[in-house]
Amino acid sequence: MAQQSEFNFEQCIKCTVCTVYCPVAAVNPLFAGPKQAGPDGERLRLKHPGFYDESLKWCLNCKRCEVACPSNVRIGDIIQAARIKHSKKRPGLREFMLANTDLVGSLASPFAPMVNFAVGLKPTKMVMDKMVGIDHRRTFPKYAFGTFECWMKRQRRKQAKFARQVSFFHGCYVNYNNPQLGKDFVKVMNALGVGVQMLKGEKCCGVPLISNGLIDKARRQGEHNTALIRESVVEKRLPVVATSSTCTFTLRDEYPHLLDIDNSDVRDGVEMATRYIYRLIESGVVQLRFKKDARRLRVAYHTACHVEKLGWSYYSLALLRMIPSVELVELDSQCCGIAGTYGFKRENYPTSQSIGESLFAKIEASGCDVVSTDCETCKWQIEMSTTKKAIHPISILAEALE
Amino acid sequence: MKFDTVIIGGGLAGLVCGISLAKRGQRCAIISSGQSALHFSSGSLDLLSQLPDGSAVECPAKGVEELVRQSKEHPYAKLGVERFVELAEQSKEVLQWAGVDTVGDSERNHYRLSPVGVLKPTWLTFRGYVNSEKATALKWKRVALFNAEGFLDFYPQFLRDELRAMGTICEVHTFNLPELEQIRQNPTEMRSANVARLFDSDGAIDALAEIIRSQKGDVEAVLLPAVLGVDCNDGVKRLEERLGCEVAVVATLPPSVPGLQVQTLLRRYFQELGGVYLPGDTVVGYKAEGDRIETVYTSNHGDIGFRADNFVLATGSFFSGGLEADNEKVVEPLFGVDVVYTENRQAWYDRDLFQAQGYESFGVRCDENFNAQRAGRTVENLYAIGACLAGFNGIKDGCGAGVSMLTALHVSDVIIKKK
Amino acid sequence: MTKQFDVIIIGGGATGAGVARDCSLRGLKALLLERGDIATGATGRNHGLLHSGARYAVTDRESAEECIKENMILRRIARHCVEPTDGLFISLPEDGLEFQAKFIEACLAAGIRAEAIDPKEALRMEPSANPAMIGAVRVPDGAVDPFRLTTANLIDAKAHGAQVKTYHEVLDFVREQDRIVGVTALDRRTGQKQEYRAQIVVNAGGIWGHDIARKAGVTINMLPAKGSLLIFGHRVNNIVLNRCRKPADADILVPGDTISLIGTTSSKVPFDEVDNMYVTADEVDLLLREGTKLAPSLAHTRILRAYAGVRPLVASDDDPSGRSVSRGIVVLDHAVRDGVEGFITITGGKLMTYRLMAEWTTDLICKKLGIDKKCVTADVALPGSREQEQALSKKLYSVPVAQRESAINRHGELAERVNTTSAAKRSLVCECEEVSVGEVEYALNELDVHNLVDLRRRTRVGMGTCQGELCACRAAGLMSEAGKYCTREAKQDLANFLNERWKGMAPVAWGDTLRESQFTTWLYDGVCGLKNQKNTI
Repeated sequence: MAQQSEFNFEQCIKCTVCTVYCPVAAVNPLFAGPKQAGPDGERLRLKHPGFYDESLKWCLNCKRCEVACPSNVRIGDIIQAARIKHSKKRPGLREFMLANTDLVGSLASPFAPMVNFAVGLKPTKMVMDKMVGIDHRRTFPKYAFGTFECWMKRQRRKQAKFARQVSFFHGCYVNYNNPQLGKDFVKVMNALGVGVQMLKGEKCCGVPLISNGLIDKARRQGEHNTALIRESVVEKRLPVVATSSTCTFTLRDEYPHLLDIDNSDVRDGVEMATRYIYRLIESGVVQLRFKKDARRLRVAYHTACHVEKLGWSYYSLALLRMIPSVELVELDSQCCGIAGTYGFKRENYPTSQSIGESLFAKIEASGCDVVSTDCETCKWQIEMSTTKKAIHPISILAEALE
Repeated sequence: MKFDTVIIGGGLAGLVCGISLAKRGQRCAIISSGQSALHFSSGSLDLLSQLPDGSAVECPAKGVEELVRQSKEHPYAKLGVERFVELAEQSKEVLQWAGVDTVGDSERNHYRLSPVGVLKPTWLTFRGYVNSEKATALKWKRVALFNAEGFLDFYPQFLRDELRAMGTICEVHTFNLPELEQIRQNPTEMRSANVARLFDSDGAIDALAEIIRSQKGDVEAVLLPAVLGVDCNDGVKRLEERLGCEVAVVATLPPSVPGLQVQTLLRRYFQELGGVYLPGDTVVGYKAEGDRIETVYTSNHGDIGFRADNFVLATGSFFSGGLEADNEKVVEPLFGVDVVYTENRQAWYDRDLFQAQGYESFGVRCDENFNAQRAGRTVENLYAIGACLAGFNGIKDGCGAGVSMLTALHVSDVIIKKK
Repeated sequence: MTKQFDVIIIGGGATGAGVARDCSLRGLKALLLERGDIATGATGRNHGLLHSGARYAVTDRESAEECIKENMILRRIARHCVEPTDGLFISLPEDGLEFQAKFIEACLAAGIRAEAIDPKEALRMEPSANPAMIGAVRVPDGAVDPFRLTTANLIDAKAHGAQVKTYHEVLDFVREQDRIVGVTALDRRTGQKQEYRAQIVVNAGGIWGHDIARKAGVTINMLPAKGSLLIFGHRVNNIVLNRCRKPADADILVPGDTISLIGTTSSKVPFDEVDNMYVTADEVDLLLREGTKLAPSLAHTRILRAYAGVRPLVASDDDPSGRSVSRGIVVLDHAVRDGVEGFITITGGKLMTYRLMAEWTTDLICKKLGIDKKCVTADVALPGSREQEQALSKKLYSVPVAQRESAINRHGELAERVNTTSAAKRSLVCECEEVSVGEVEYALNELDVHNLVDLRRRTRVGMGTCQGELCACRAAGLMSEAGKYCTREAKQDLANFLNERWKGMAPVAWGDTLRESQFTTWLYDGVCGLKNQKNTI
C-alpha cells in the first residue's frame, strides 16, 4: 500500500481499528485515543497549531496502533512528532533525571551498592515522589558495580581472535544495570564463533530523551550513534547488534521518523541479537550445543511493544524453542504498561499498572518458572508486578549452552 | 524462513485457509498488514442472499444453481454447485473448531437484525445475536431494549420503531454504571470495544443485570448492543443466567465486537495448530523462478525472506489494500497479477450509492483452481481467495463471507492434493 | 390567512440573507423565503475566497475596487467567518514576468496593497507553493466561509424581527394591477400553501432568479456558467495561491478551515442542468493538472470531493444578443425597467460583494417606501464576531482543546450557547471536524436545521475526511431523538445525506477516497442494510 505518501495521515479511513488496540485509551479517559490524537488531530494541527492538546503526553508510544492499522498510518509517529513540534511543556528535573540514563548511570555505577540501598529506602522514595514526581511505589532498577564497558575493554584481545565479528550496541541498561546480559551475549556469540566489538563511544540511543522532551540532545546523540553505526556497517562491514529491543527500534526507526536523521543506508545493518543468531543458525554455518542435563524450565515469552512493531518476536521464540530444556508458553502480545520511563512518573503510575493488569494475571496463570522478554523496562515492570523473574532470551540461551 | 504455505492477509479468508492447511499438518505463516475487515462485521456471515439480476435468494444451495447460470465469472461458478454445498458445511465446522458458535445453515437463509432495525437475509449468525426465521417479524411480542447512556453508535429509536412495525413492542431504556461515567469523560472513546471490555468482569454483568431487572418489566427478551465483553464471549449467557430470561444483542457501528472476537478466536486457533501469525507486516517484494513464486519479502523481515511451496493471496479488496486504484487503472499491488476491471472510469460507479457499484466486482483474475495469472500466464503456486477475487459483489449479493470461506477451503484442498 | 410584511426576500443565499439583515436593521419587517436550505446555490458553491480584488485589478477595475472595500469591511464585521491568510500571485516560468508589473500597478491603482516579493521568501512563507516560481506578489486575499456568513446574517436579521422560512418555494406572485403585493409559497416540508404580502418583493434567487422573474412577468437574460472545484483532504496551503496572469481556469488554491480547494473551471450549461450538476472526469483532470502547478504536493494529496456551482451571469439590458455580460452588481427596479411596481431583482456580483449588493437593494427599498434610514451593516459586527477568540477560549477552558477551538471558529461567541456542561454533551458526533453532541443540539434548536445536509452547513458534520461515514448515523440518531423526524424519515434522510456525499466523491473515487467509500458502503449498505427508498439524488 502507498506508504510513500508525504501526507501519511491521510491514508486513515476512520475505520476505528486503532482505538481497539490502544492500551492507554482503554484505561485512561484523559488520553484522546490514537485516532483523535493521531491522524484526526494532525489534520486540525495543520489548520492551526493551537489545536495541539497537551493530553498527547499520555501516549506511551507503544505503536500498537500502527501494528493494528489496516491503512499503514504511522499513528504513533504522528503523535510523537506532534509532541516534539508543539508541546509547550518544558522538561524539569525529573525529566532530566529519567532521560539522561547514561549520565545518571555513570554517576551511580561506581557507588552501586550505596545507590541501590538508598533508592530502595522508603524515605528516599517518598522524597523522590514528592520533590521530583517519581512514583514511590515503583521499584528502581539496580545499578551494577562496574560497567559492561570496563569489562569489555579487558576482552578485546580475546574477541579479536574470532574470524567473524559483530559490533554490539549494548545500551545503558547492559552497561550500568545488567552487565551480565552483555556477558551472556558475548558468551553466546563466542560459542557461535563470532567475536564481539564495541562501537567507539556509543551514547544512549536517546529513547528516554525523546519521551522526556529533550529533543535536541536526542538528535545530537542520534547523529553521533548513526555515524558510529555507519562506520561499522559501511566501512568495516560489521553488522550492529543489540540485546535491547527498544534501542534497536530507536536506532532503526525513531531516528528517521522522529529525529529526521537519515539512516537509510545503514538501517538494515542494525538488528536484534536474536535475529542475528537466528540468521546464522538458519544459514547452516553454525550450530548451538546445549547442556544435556539441564533442568526443565517453563518460560513464558512476553512480546514487548517495540518487538511487536519490529515484528521480530518470531526470532526470539525460534531460539527459545531450540533449547531442549525449555518449555515455551507464548503469551498473547499486549503492553505491560511501563513504556520505558513513562511508568516511573507519579501521574502515570495508575495508568501504567492498569494497562499491565491483565498481562500480570496471565503470567501468574501460565504456570511458568520465568518470563522472558527482549525489553529491559518490561522486565522491571513484570518483576515488580508479578512473582516471576524476567530474563532476556539471550541469558536463557547462554545458561543452556554446553 | 521456510514454510509449506505462506498466506498473505490475516482476515477471514486467510485465517480459514491457514487453519484448514495447518490442521492437515502444513507449516503455515500468515502475513497480515494491519487488522482485517472482520472488525466491521455485522455479527453474521452471508453466503448468498441475492442474484446478480436482483432477485432474492431464500435457499443458497438452490440459488447457487441459478447464480452459476447468470454469472460465469462468479467465484461460486468456479467451485460448482456440488462443491459449494460441501464447502459451506465445512465452513461452519471450521468455525466450530475455533470456538465460534453459530446458528444457521446453507439450506435456507435466516434473518439478522441490523443496527438500524432492518431484517437482512444471512447464512450464519453468531450465537446470542438477534435473528429470525422470518423476513418480516421477530419471534417475540414484547421486548425491552437497553442502551448504555451516551453511547452514540447504537440507535434505539430506529430499532424501537422498526420492531413495532414488525409487531414487536419494544420499550427503550438506558443504563449507566460508574465505570461508564469514566469512559464517557473521553469525547470519542466511548466506543463499542471500550464499553464491552467492562463486561469481561462478572461484577459489571451483575450490576447491569440488577439495573435491567428493575426496569425491564414483563418482557420475553432483553435486547442490547453487542458490548457484553471482549475477551469473554459468553456475556449473553452470563446475563441470561442472572436475569432468567432471553437476552440477545444487536451489532453496533464499528468497531465490531463480534468481529474482533471472531478474529481473535480464529487467530488463536491457527496459532495453536502451529501456525505463525505475523501482524503489522507488509509484503514489499518477491522472487520468482519461471512461473513460480519462490520467496516473498516483507517490510519487517527485510532480507530474511519467506520461502514456501505455495503462496495464497488473501489481501482483500480496495479497503484492505488488496486492490489499488488510481485515476486510470486498478492493480494488484504485491505481485502485479492480472486484474479484471473496466478502463472507462465513469463505469466504475453508479450515481446512487445504494446501487451496485461497478468497482465492487473488480478483482484478481483466476483460473478454476484460483491460480492467479501474470500477463495471461498462470502462476503455478500463487492462489487468490476472498475479497480480492473478481466477479462478484459481496455486499449487494450478500456473499462476501461465503466467498472468503469457501474459496479459502477450496484452495487449501487444492494445495493439499498437489503434494 | 395571509401575513403582512414590509419586504419579502426570495432566496436564502448570502445576498438574500444580507438584504434581510439590512432591512431589519433599518426597521423594516422582513420575510425571507428560501426553496431549499440557506447557501445552497452559488453562495455555497464557490472558492470561499475573500478576494482582495487583485484578480480583477487588470481586467475589471470597478469590481476590484468593490472587492477591496468589502474585504476590509468583512474583516471587521465577520471576523469569525474570515481567515485573513493573505494571498500570493505567483508567476511560473510558462507565465513569464511580463504580467506582474502591469498587475502590481493595477492593484495599487485600485487601492489594493500589492508587494512584489522574492520567490525564495514566498516559498518560505508558503512552502507548498511551486518552487519553480520566478516571481511572487503578496496581496490581502483571505478565506471566507459562506455558510457561516449567511447564517450570521440571518441570525442578526431574526434578532431584529425578520422571519426566515427555509424549504418554502415561491409558486406565484400576488398582484394588484401592475403592482406585486405578495407571493404564494409552498412549504415543501408540509405541502401547505400560504400567501404572504409585502410592499416590496425582492428577487435574490441567483441563477434561479431567472425563473422567479418570469413568474412575475419580467424577463432577465441570465446565462448559467458552471464552475467546478476540487476539495483536498487537509489544509495544504496557509496562504491563498493564485497565478499571476490573466484570469483562467483552475488558478486559485484557497485554504478554508480544515481543507484546501482548487478551482474553477468555467463552462456554459443549459438551465435544465442547474439543479443537478455533476463534475466530469475531464474537469477533474484539468483541475488537478493546473492545481499541481500552483502546489506540486497536490498530486499526492487525497481529494475529498468535487463539486460545481452556477454563477448567474446577466446579459446587459442594452445588448439583446446576450453576448455582452455584466460582471458587476445588477439592481433592477422593475417599476422603472418593466413597469411592474413593488418588485426588485438583485443579481450579478459575487459573494465578496453580498453586503454591498444588500446595501444598494435596501437603499432602493427605502427610497421606494420613503424611509430615510442609513445603512449600518458595514459597521455593526455580525453575531459571532463580537468577541475576541482568545477571550472566548479562556471562557470555555473546560472544553477539550480541539473541540473548543473548532466551535469558536464556527460560531464565534455563540459557541457559548453550545451546551458543554456534561460529558455526554461533549461527546463527539463528527470526529474529523470535532462536532459535539452539544453543538449538534444547538444547531437543531436554533439554526433552522431540518435534515442532515442542513446540519452539515451549520456545523461541518460530515465535511471531514470520512465524509459522514461515522457521524451521519450518529447525527441522524440525535435528530430523531430530538423529534425532528420519525425513524423512516430519518433513514431516508441518512440515505440522502450519504448520496449527497457520494455525489462529490464519485468523480474522484480512486486511491484512499475509493477505500473510504467502499468502507461507507460496507457499513451502511452491508452492515446496516440501509436502502434508498425515494431515489432522490
